Amino acid sequence: MNDVVNGAQEQGAKQDKLDRLLADYFRPGAESAGLALKVAAVVRTDRELERLESRLVLEATPRGISLVRTGKTARSATATARKLTEQAREEIHEYLRGQRSFFHVPLDLSEVPDFQRRVLEAARLIPFGEGRPYAWIAERTGHPRAVRAVGTALGRNPVPLLLPCHRVWRSDGGLGEYIFGARVKDRLTALERITPVLEGCTSTRIVCRVGCIHGRHMRPDNRVVFASVTDARSVGYRPCKVCRPAA
Amino acid sequence: MDAERGLMRKVARGDQAAFTDLAQRYGGRLLAVAGRLLGSRADAEDAVQRALLQCFAGASAYDSRWAVSTWLYRILTNVCVDELRRRATRTAYDARSTPEALEAVSGNHRPPDAYLDLHRALGRVPREARVLLALRYVDGLSYGELARIRGISINTVKSQLARGKALLREELGKRGAGHE
Repeated sequence: MNDVVNGAQEQGAKQDKLDRLLADYFRPGAESAGLALKVAAVVRTDRELERLESRLVLEATPRGISLVRTGKTARSATATARKLTEQAREEIHEYLRGQRSFFHVPLDLSEVPDFQRRVLEAARLIPFGEGRPYAWIAERTGHPRAVRAVGTALGRNPVPLLLPCHRVWRSDGGLGEYIFGARVKDRLTALERITPVLEGCTSTRIVCRVGCIHGRHMRPDNRVVFASVTDARSVGYRPCKVCRPAA
Repeated sequence: MDAERGLMRKVARGDQAAFTDLAQRYGGRLLAVAGRLLGSRADAEDAVQRALLQCFAGASAYDSRWAVSTWLYRILTNVCVDELRRRATRTAYDARSTPEALEAVSGNHRPPDAYLDLHRALGRVPREARVLLALRYVDGLSYGELARIRGISINTVKSQLARGKALLREELGKRGAGHE
């Protein structure tokens, strides 16, 4: 067939041709056999992250969360600090269930030594659901060869989960070590892979970051995922003024 | 239509056989949409699996005012759009991913040569319009269904499709006449 489209042809004929081309291109193949069974086999009963959550202990200063660890007992704190730990618990709870893609609770890193703080601040820049090699962090701290020191600094991250040191991987593609164990790191990576970042509400036409207070009461059939704020705007949604997803 | 709603009710009660039935009925069409949106066969299968799992887990939230297909497509496009977001940021970070590398990635869902121009031209269409085109042409969904799946007005569906097709026509025209 010859696809020459010359200007003399009618618009209608052109449309038909494009329509036919599109219909052929998008025609479904007959290749779904076995998929359903595969899906049924994937239903998991993995409780790794729930176990982690139940063992978490949080400490805070009035300025922010200062420690996230397992097993220890927390220091008594001021009322402000207790409020912050409650908020952090709630946010972690949602995060581990795939209902949150960012943390709002403030962190207090004032006790952290300078080099380590720069390492942690660099790790904080890694977007949700992604990973960067240790060397990437080293470059950003101004010590490109200090890869091992970066690993140590991340291993002593006082506020794991809230500050995403689990998004720093080995350059060979392996995930590497983690303060809560490699299995947890693996689960967190998988969790972030299936948690969307931006969702719009079909009744308000507002797009929020997943975990925003506005999204909490959204009915499941009102949720639409977007890939970017620009995409959402292109079909008539506006960004939320509370969680400010454009940033 | 009603039979499928009944099927969803069974799925909501945890009926595995009903779920398998549902997955078999829609698997092909879901795979076609996901494959065309994501490019790679492996990613498409992964997306469909995740969508079906979400459907299974969230079946109790299913509202029978929705056609089952519309419900499934909503879940699937949500999964696919998020995967496209991830891919966009990953590509921006990874300076090594040249257009050739991207072509290689999508190699296992390679379109026949006759569609190669269309495949490339579609890459120039904005994401939301591309998603709508895929849904429109895989299953011939109505403007109303498309509006519901993406949570937008029917007028927006129409203008997005028109804009997408205008862009395609322009791109295909640019690539010159006379290819087979």
